[in-house]
Amino acid sequence: MSDMSSVRKSGLKWKVPILVALVALPVLLGIGLTRDPSHVPSALVGQKVPEFNLNLLEQSGALTNSEFGDTPLIINFWASWCATCRQEHPKLVELGIRSELQDEFEIVGVNYRDSRDRAQRFLDREGHFGYRSGFDERGRLGIDFGVYGMPETFFVDRDGVIQARHAGPVTDAVLAKYLPLIGVTP
Amino acid sequence: MKWLMSVITSIFLPMMVYAANVSEAPEEARVRDVAAMLRCPVCQSENILDSQASTAKEMVVILRERVAEGMTDEQIFTYFKSRYGDYVLLSPPTNGVGRVIWLIPFWLIAIGLMVFGWTMRRTGEQESKTRSRAATPLTESSLKELDL
Repeated sequence: MSDMSSVRKSGLKWKVPILVALVALPVLLGIGLTRDPSHVPSALVGQKVPEFNLNLLEQSGALTNSEFGDTPLIINFWASWCATCRQEHPKLVELGIRSELQDEFEIVGVNYRDSRDRAQRFLDREGHFGYRSGFDERGRLGIDFGVYGMPETFFVDRDGVIQARHAGPVTDAVLAKYLPLIGVTP
Repeated sequence: MKWLMSVITSIFLPMMVYAANVSEAPEEARVRDVAAMLRCPVCQSENILDSQASTAKEMVVILRERVAEGMTDEQIFTYFKSRYGDYVLLSPPTNGVGRVIWLIPFWLIAIGLMVFGWTMRRTGEQESKTRSRAATPLTESSLKELDL
């Protein structure tokens, strides 16, 4: 009798890790299935904004990170070849007007892997921003920011730390979510 | 004979063109090795060397510059990781959470061995039980019962 119970006990010892593994594996795979495979996590959130010094798209002069002292900053990467950029364009123009009227935050654009000509035509058609855009012809700054698609928007707080990165069009919901992170009321 | 020579020449001459020595910058082999380990953030399943995406091509240019500057592989990986995170590496890192991924195959083999051992033991036990029963000599009373 005692023999049988010891056999049963040792059998259980084998079974427990097997059962745990058999349950854990599908659960982990299941969690994996609910995640968006095209989502690229940003390594820059919580980091200082990368240094930049870009020629301006429309005027002469440069756009540098040092000019934004202790004002919260929104950096929007856009391109004339990106359809979603057209979708978010009115919201950005609106943000530009707001930043000009109130001194709560600054906003700048980065024209990414584009030609000056096409970018100019895009702005003529869709409407000009009330703020400046840098011209990142080869996408160097984009790589520095870990950009993988267009459009992408970065929210930088007054200490120069990136608090959020949004891939996709800027909408009211996006602003409501991220502006408070850089100390701006949406 | 002449025609045979001309046939042979026409077949093998183009091959010599391919066999010609191609010289490349000595660090280009290293650029290829490192590029093969970096994932293109745009197309996601390709390394930056195979990818036709413009971002990947520019990343190769940056990589080439870093190699020319004399950076070590580790420094280059650190640079790209600080931009795109561990995601940019095609093989998951062997430390932190990444270690779990590397352990999964061994874990699965261990489970397989456990199941195998467990079934073998059970069949072994049952077999020895039937065998031991067969080996018990018949007692006097049972012999009588059988009327032998």
